[in-house]
Amino acid sequence: MFNSTVAAITLRATLGRRRALLFALPPIILIGLTIILRSSHAPSQSWPGQILGDFGFSVLMPLTALIIGTSVLGAEVDDGSIVHLLATPVSRVSVILTKFTVAAVLAMAFTAIPELIAGLIAPGTGSKLAIALFVGALVGSVIYTAVFVMCSALTTRAVAVGLLYVLVWEGLLSNIIGGVRILSIGHYALGVANGIDKDPALGAGLSLDTAVVMGVIVTVGALWLAVRRLSSFGISGEATS
Amino acid sequence: MSVNTESVIHDLGYKRYDGPRLGRAEIVRSLAWSSFRAAFGFGRSFKAKIVPFLILIVLCLPAIINADVVSGGAHRILDYDTYRPDLRIFGMLIFVAVQAPELVSRDLRSRVLPLYFSRPLRPADYPAAKFIAFFSACLVMMWVPLIALYLGTVASLHGGSQIWHETQALFPGLLIGLMWAIVLAAIGLFLASFSGRRAFATGSIAIFLFLTWVLASIVIQAEAVKVGGIHAVQGPGPGPIQATAPPTPTGVKIGGLFSPYTLMDGIRTWFGAPLKNGQVPDPHSFGIVYAIVTIALVAGCLYGLVVRYRKAALS
Amino acid sequence: MTTPAPTPAPARTPAGPPRPAPARTTIELRNVSRWYGNVVAVNDVTMSIGPGVTGLLGPNGAGKSTILHMMAGFLAPSRGELTVAGVPSWRNPGVYDRLGLVPERDSVYAFLTGEQFVLASAKLHKLTNPQEAARNAIDMTEMAAAADRKISTYSKGMRQRIKVAAALVHNPEILLLDEPFNGMDPRQRLHMMDLLVRLGDQGRVILFSSHILEEVERLSGTIQVMVAGRLAASGDFREIRRLMTSRPHVFSVRSSDDRRLAAALVAQPHVAAVELTGKGLSIRTTDYGAFAFAIAALARDQGIRLRELLPTDESLESVFSYLISN
Repeated sequence: MFNSTVAAITLRATLGRRRALLFALPPIILIGLTIILRSSHAPSQSWPGQILGDFGFSVLMPLTALIIGTSVLGAEVDDGSIVHLLATPVSRVSVILTKFTVAAVLAMAFTAIPELIAGLIAPGTGSKLAIALFVGALVGSVIYTAVFVMCSALTTRAVAVGLLYVLVWEGLLSNIIGGVRILSIGHYALGVANGIDKDPALGAGLSLDTAVVMGVIVTVGALWLAVRRLSSFGISGEATS
Repeated sequence: MSVNTESVIHDLGYKRYDGPRLGRAEIVRSLAWSSFRAAFGFGRSFKAKIVPFLILIVLCLPAIINADVVSGGAHRILDYDTYRPDLRIFGMLIFVAVQAPELVSRDLRSRVLPLYFSRPLRPADYPAAKFIAFFSACLVMMWVPLIALYLGTVASLHGGSQIWHETQALFPGLLIGLMWAIVLAAIGLFLASFSGRRAFATGSIAIFLFLTWVLASIVIQAEAVKVGGIHAVQGPGPGPIQATAPPTPTGVKIGGLFSPYTLMDGIRTWFGAPLKNGQVPDPHSFGIVYAIVTIALVAGCLYGLVVRYRKAALS
Repeated sequence: MTTPAPTPAPARTPAGPPRPAPARTTIELRNVSRWYGNVVAVNDVTMSIGPGVTGLLGPNGAGKSTILHMMAGFLAPSRGELTVAGVPSWRNPGVYDRLGLVPERDSVYAFLTGEQFVLASAKLHKLTNPQEAARNAIDMTEMAAAADRKISTYSKGMRQRIKVAAALVHNPEILLLDEPFNGMDPRQRLHMMDLLVRLGDQGRVILFSSHILEEVERLSGTIQVMVAGRLAASGDFREIRRLMTSRPHVFSVRSSDDRRLAAALVAQPHVAAVELTGKGLSIRTTDYGAFAFAIAALARDQGIRLRELLPTDESLESVFSYLISN
């Protein structure tokens, strides 16, 4: 199912541009900030929870996954160069799965690993919490990436849509309206992290089981939708604006 | 088919235009006007109007709720200065991130800049027109909710002195809205001008604004807690009103420099506005640094924009 | 129709493993229509494209690109049946084993070099020896000199050629090209035409779209003309001209005594007009066959020697403008 040629092209396309700066920057900031704050503060304060939770989980992870997830498919669909990929006998499932895998691996590398490093550096968190956050970030990156890859296949305005989702849906609403949490990827990730190391500071609203089940459903569903869309990929004759 | 052995040029009535020509000012004016319309999605399909108008409506919702509450006899529930901070921050973030590329990235993508610059247009005129347009659009987004708030409140007031009092309170709010429009428009256009791909530009602007804001908020909170006492400062969002103003720790002051939103809020409190709903406590004498950094930020963005288009005029 | 080619000798095909000689491959369209909302892009088209080079001709907006994309499996017909080598191409990635598409849009992976791009195409087509196939395809399109440069540095004509190379790398029986000569200079154009004719002679089905008449005229006898979404005419364009009986044919004649010949011709029932030009006679006739017969007899009876007799409007342009205007 995984096609190495598609993977090579996708990797090159994603990393070989200025865009790569955009997702290399936040992890550097995260780690840098952790180091600075650690050196100027006494331990056992609330700031680690905020840096790792508010910043790392709620901001870093979704936005990094957004940029990565939309760039593995979005640009090609937008300028039509995906035709060269689709006019081959490679199955659509293979295309989506390969691109998703590349995106997920990159997202994990740029989100979960910095989160782990920051978690280990930050004082007063304990390595169990750091591992919990790491695993949660891994899970979250995977789910976010799947959803954003799906968005790129469905619409040309995938970034705007993803942004609205992250900022409005996850940022504002799920903190105000409790029921919304069941459809919030951020909460799936928090649920997983909380399942590994129960910590009220995480503010997780879902149990581990719910989080895992919903996470799997959302990921598989998103990828399936993306494959369906790509199978019926149509190009009109005239150049689209 | 007969063959003509003579060559002839036919007079189709084509004449050189010798009449009055509108000059540079007119070009800049019309470019600004069409860009202003583009910021709200006019001139394009219906889908392009959804985001800006949705945001405008959402921003006006608190004003409408306020009008309802005030008509029942209560006091105005919102301030002109801060309105609803979260809503404005997020709302303007999305508006700037999604609409600035509409003004700027589309021209880059379709490579029409040589067409623009082969008219009597100086290289600095194009970014100037775009900035005027987008600044005006942001101004509309900031002022319409404030004016709606004002009108909703005034409608339930009696007596000239009360109305005058309201107007006095409105005025600083409008000035703050002006500041927001200038700063956000400059940043948005500057970041958008780096890419012809709207999605990429939207992503960069959103990430910049959001990241810096969260960063600044966290640093402020962290630094404040360190000094001892949660009551010393508030995090983002509404909270208890602070009665006295203890000296603000340096860390907090520096933290506020990291985000345009906190910068503007710092300037606001420096000018003596009440702290309620604010992000940054009074920077006192440090406030001058806030002002300088803000001005430098705006100037830098505008200058960068001009430089960018001086180069891009050739592509 | 162009002469049916002999079945291709398997070992000499340009790239990839030898293919078994195919039964006559065709693209069949039956009552195919495609609409977008209220706009009908393709209107009830029935056509059959066989081996050899066929030109899809028509003004901009006639539906040529739409038809090509439907054949290539990138658009579904709203109605009707469309099969490529017997199977529908929509939602059928397997059809790309035998089909290559050269799209019109100038979009390629600009960050790859030409060679990497064609090689990637070869790998994606699951060829057993992608490097050799890629090299062959690049040589065929004369891109070997520039193959190691990034595609972003190519001119438009070079990009077209590298796209053709990528489409040829898997040795397809069917090649669809959307406005392939856009952006090519005359030398490149001639070379590409040569290539297409050679491929067509091997028995492949080559269909290209164009709105430039000289290209089509030079390249293919068989044309399919689309006007406003409908198929206006198909076949050899000279034959089509003869079928256009409502429009008089124009001949130019030079003889030893033009005026006397003219006077005699005017008396003929099937002669619509005779014009004395400085260089001879220009004659409009409604009946091609009868005229050809009659003028010889006339000239002999009058004792006039015929020096030159040419049909002057049997060009694709006249066919085209007739079809467009009607």
